Amino acid sequence: MIRDPEARTGAFASILLSPITVLYLLFLLAPISYFLAVSFFKYSPAELFIPGFTTENYSRLLFDSYYRNVIYSTFRIAAVVTLISLVFAYALAYFLARMTSGWRSLLMFLIVAPLMTGIIVRTYGWIVLLGSDGLINRLMMLVGLVDSPAALLHREGTVIVALVHIMLPYMVFPIFSSLTSQDPHLVPAASTLGARPLRAFLEVTLPLSRSGIVMGSALVFTLTAGSVVTPQLLGGRDVTMMGQTIYNLVLSTFNWPLGAAVAALLVLTQFLVISLYFRKTRGAH
Amino acid sequence: MHTDIETSPLRPVPVAAQAVGQRPVEPKIDLLPIGRRAYGLLITLLYIFLLLPILIIVFASFSPDQRNTYALSNASLHWYREFFASNNFTSAFQFSLWLALVAAVLATIIGFITAYGIVRFTGRGRNLAQSLVMLPMMVPHILISLSLLLLLTVLPLMELSALIIGHVLICLPFTIAGIIASLEGVDPDLEAAAWTLGAPRWRVLIEVTLPLIAPGVLSALIFAFIISFGDVYIALFLSGPGVTTLPVEIFSYIQWESSPVIAAITTLQIVLIVLFGLFVERLVGLRTAMRL
Repeated sequence: MIRDPEARTGAFASILLSPITVLYLLFLLAPISYFLAVSFFKYSPAELFIPGFTTENYSRLLFDSYYRNVIYSTFRIAAVVTLISLVFAYALAYFLARMTSGWRSLLMFLIVAPLMTGIIVRTYGWIVLLGSDGLINRLMMLVGLVDSPAALLHREGTVIVALVHIMLPYMVFPIFSSLTSQDPHLVPAASTLGARPLRAFLEVTLPLSRSGIVMGSALVFTLTAGSVVTPQLLGGRDVTMMGQTIYNLVLSTFNWPLGAAVAALLVLTQFLVISLYFRKTRGAH
Repeated sequence: MHTDIETSPLRPVPVAAQAVGQRPVEPKIDLLPIGRRAYGLLITLLYIFLLLPILIIVFASFSPDQRNTYALSNASLHWYREFFASNNFTSAFQFSLWLALVAAVLATIIGFITAYGIVRFTGRGRNLAQSLVMLPMMVPHILISLSLLLLLTVLPLMELSALIIGHVLICLPFTIAGIIASLEGVDPDLEAAAWTLGAPRWRVLIEVTLPLIAPGVLSALIFAFIISFGDVYIALFLSGPGVTTLPVEIFSYIQWESSPVIAAITTLQIVLIVLFGLFVERLVGLRTAMRL
């Protein structure tokens, strides 16, 4: 008698998926919920926080102009970085999706390689490049653009350039996959029907790559909004984003409840952006 | 080639003109009025933009003096000697290697079990399960780290174990996605055949499935290692004095000063990562390894 291999599917699934379920419940969901609950606790300099319920942390975020500015600049920087990365990444992804030669895997590797080196290495690269005796300053002095080294670090523009550099690969790959999963006959079909290349691109290729665009944008926006290291090292005191604020509140001021409130706001935004992504991509299929 | 069709749109499309089974000729990339040359220039500039900040570190690591200069004529290995002489950095480097290895092995084992469960044993709930396991990627890593730090105040947990758990959590989405991708390439009939011939499930798994996806599992391991090794957000809050990872050590150092010794360390790191990356590329191709 041949038994059906799929017969006890449900039981096996729960056995195989139990380690990860326990891991996520115990070390991801429970601690994060507790941490978010702390955002409603009272701040106490001696004990970090006192369990209870207060909304004062949130009202401080909304009414204190310092925190309002931090939130505003975080979302502004995240939006600008997402937009610039989208344009550049589309150009790269389109190029990679259209090329057929053996160079493709090398050129793809050159996009992944920076991603693999880690955030700290890439941020350090910008410090070396833009420092007072960095390459950019030397070039500018050589051509006589400036007389003495210009202060390129500690500017919002620098933070944005470095963040675009860090985020670009995260945008290229989703767009690349949505471009390569398109039926390659569609564009020739459109041109057979009389569409010029630009029109075929705007009416066929671009709308069909929407899921990649939305996925990449959601990823880049949320990663940028949560970044700490890059704005801290390149922006210094002049550019403050939410991630840095959490870092400083928790490790320097020990104001856990306020830090948790900033983090809760960050997660809420993340959640909104991702649910937007799911709605948009479902519409695309 | 399409000109005659454009001038007389009523003429039937010459189907036979295109050989059956051949990829249709795609139009040239003339999207914008700027044309192909400008597009090529843009791509070149983007590659320079992507690679320059990393290449410049390699040059700066051979700098003969304190400044991050790039004189090739008087290159020196001074900063590499400095690195090997500095206890802080070498021990952080070793600790990072050890931590990344432990986290990668754990994440690969759990990832394999999970991926196998999802691909073979979930029916209609598969999409949901597959998006739920990606959870650590959706949550900002700084929040995972802080929550684990908070957990340490409640549970009698060692700081080191919290660090390992944090790294396993952030590596899991990548190992699961990579192994799911390789499992999808295995014909389930092969497993069913072995099963019908009387092999118990665990034997099917070890003797049929695992050898078939070995390259995928190995590349997931390497990928998890790379992610853990480069992480700064989890370790930022969870690594204490004496057990600091390399990225955190570098972060706290360059907040105060920038010296070519950091360039030397990061160059070694870049070489290591590139070698690993090339190895993954040889094994399964980076695209499969990175599929999310």
